[in-house]
Amino acid sequence: MTAQPLIRAERVSMQFVIGASILNARKRVLTAVDQVSLDIHRGETFGLVGESGCGKTTLGRLLLRLYKPTSGTIHYDGHDITTLTPQQMMPFRRRMQMIFQDPYASLDPRMTVSTIIAEPLRRTEMDRAQVDARVRELLSLVGLDENHARRYPHEFSGGQRQRIGIARALAAGPEFIVCDEPISALDVSIQAQVVNMLEELQQRLGLTYLFVSHDLSMVRHISHRVGVMYLGHMVEMAPVNELFTNMAHPYTQALMSAVPIADPDASAASRRIILEGDVPNPMNPPSGCPFRTRCPVVMPVCAEVKPELKDIGGGHWVACHRV
Amino acid sequence: MSTNRLLEIENLNTTFHIHVGQVQAVRGISLHVDHGEAVGIVGESGSGKSVSMLSLMRLLPDYAHISADRIYFEGQDLTNASVDQVRRLSGDRIGMVFQDPMTSLNPLMTIGRQMQETLRVHRKMSKADAAERVRELLRLVDIPDPDSRQKQYPHELSGGMRQRVMIGMAIASNPSLVIADEPTTALDVTIQAQILALLKGLMDKIGTSVILITHDLGVIAGMCSRVLVMYGGCIVEEGLSREIFYNPRHPYTWGLLRSVPRKEGEHAPLIPIHGTPPDLINPPPGCPFEPRCPHAMRICRTGMPRMTQVSDTHRLRCYLMDEGAPKVAWEGGRA
Repeated sequence: MTAQPLIRAERVSMQFVIGASILNARKRVLTAVDQVSLDIHRGETFGLVGESGCGKTTLGRLLLRLYKPTSGTIHYDGHDITTLTPQQMMPFRRRMQMIFQDPYASLDPRMTVSTIIAEPLRRTEMDRAQVDARVRELLSLVGLDENHARRYPHEFSGGQRQRIGIARALAAGPEFIVCDEPISALDVSIQAQVVNMLEELQQRLGLTYLFVSHDLSMVRHISHRVGVMYLGHMVEMAPVNELFTNMAHPYTQALMSAVPIADPDASAASRRIILEGDVPNPMNPPSGCPFRTRCPVVMPVCAEVKPELKDIGGGHWVACHRV
Repeated sequence: MSTNRLLEIENLNTTFHIHVGQVQAVRGISLHVDHGEAVGIVGESGSGKSVSMLSLMRLLPDYAHISADRIYFEGQDLTNASVDQVRRLSGDRIGMVFQDPMTSLNPLMTIGRQMQETLRVHRKMSKADAAERVRELLRLVDIPDPDSRQKQYPHELSGGMRQRVMIGMAIASNPSLVIADEPTTALDVTIQAQILALLKGLMDKIGTSVILITHDLGVIAGMCSRVLVMYGGCIVEEGLSREIFYNPRHPYTWGLLRSVPRKEGEHAPLIPIHGTPPDLINPPPGCPFEPRCPHAMRICRTGMPRMTQVSDTHRLRCYLMDEGAPKVAWEGGRA
């Protein structure tokens, strides 16, 4: 891969300070994303998986510069956007967008569908008629009807609302979209509709996605490359087929084996790795490897040295002392 | 009726009377559960899977109208039993596990006290006996260090731990049936695997039957020997897991199975079910799936299809099963 990536994050970290207030002077630091590096290429879907609290949403927001990273750098299309001011970010803003998990919470109930979809167009030079035409175009792009434009979000089902959210994300003609658990709030039969639409839009508009999800089978379906996060760290990263057939990190192996298979025989034959205990508290992470407290193949060195991401060939990166 | 029957329900209907009309949440479902069996109920939100179980336990508000031709549980006829009778019996003999352990636990009570409460009310146990039983239950659901854990409040436990506490409470009085309503939906996959393994282990250890309500076909495939597929308040297809997964006959079941990616992962496009689930306020008389069904015929709009028996254990409601109906085959299955 010689082409310049659309997004390049180098050792980005995001720390949140918790509990510092007038009443409580004792500051505690939560490292949500810890020295993560990744490239996302144009037209690619990068899937990000991990359990709740592993930092996948925070990483998505960092790449959109909704947060300013505590350390590390983020390049967008070759430009360093790590420390840009909100004004300086403006030209980049319309090139990046986000689709949210909860289609009930992410649409303003007092706005009509057309106002919602037209919101990103407010800072453009379009006149009223152009905006209306664009809204109609977007509605048909996401499979909604023109006369839906005057209605309010409560009149729509979850799947339809998610389409409205997608139309809004597409309004300003972005290149890069962070899809943050876009299907987890939807029914199974509706999930497939939305995923198919995202794929179709990607081909038609040449979009680049960061697809954040805890649904591994959907991530496998939609992604070109996948990263696995655990407790703020990227523990494994590879092209999708390589990752799913040749997973190298013990956490990835456990995560994959825990996914229920919709096939009774395959399910009975599969060997499940059941991890013990819970994810450690991110405010008090273990020394060395973040996964060592639950790892079935832990060694003494894991408590002392944090494993670095190593390239094991074919664009497959793993952070584990066993590899 | 075989002696192995634990629960038998015939023609259960539940209707909610609300200001805009009648919501027919459950429309004439019949089901049974045998001793030691795990039965899965799969369906989307609003398909009536939870309401049918809450109707059985009479845990619905006053504006819900419940009727059934026959409800038998542990050999007792509950068809015309009073709400109090049913609740007293079910509180003791049926355990329930809900989706969200945070909202179903009392945040102001330590988990030890909440667990003791069930035992003291239903089993009339002394405080000391109840405390001892709670320790035993916490060990049974694999909660490490039960003595200090039971002094904690729900917010001090992780989601997985809270669900273990819920399961502990559900099995406190050695019930013959545990109804688990989306028990792992709020949990991460690795924790889900822990909880499912725990439920399976408990079925063997204490011999309870389980009704598992879920929208996740994968969870059913791993846990249940028999599956009921619900849509629009009806059971549209039911059978042994192998029959439902490898030889499904109802177009809705086909749709469900085709809308999840295969494990093998070749990149075939997902085939979604078009449209949206039905409105159960004054639903049309025909098959509930007709508006979304790719094989719908004119007759499908006229009335509910009858149950057609495919094997002793496999039956479904679909006009495609009638003689003379076009032959449509399931293409997604295995040879």
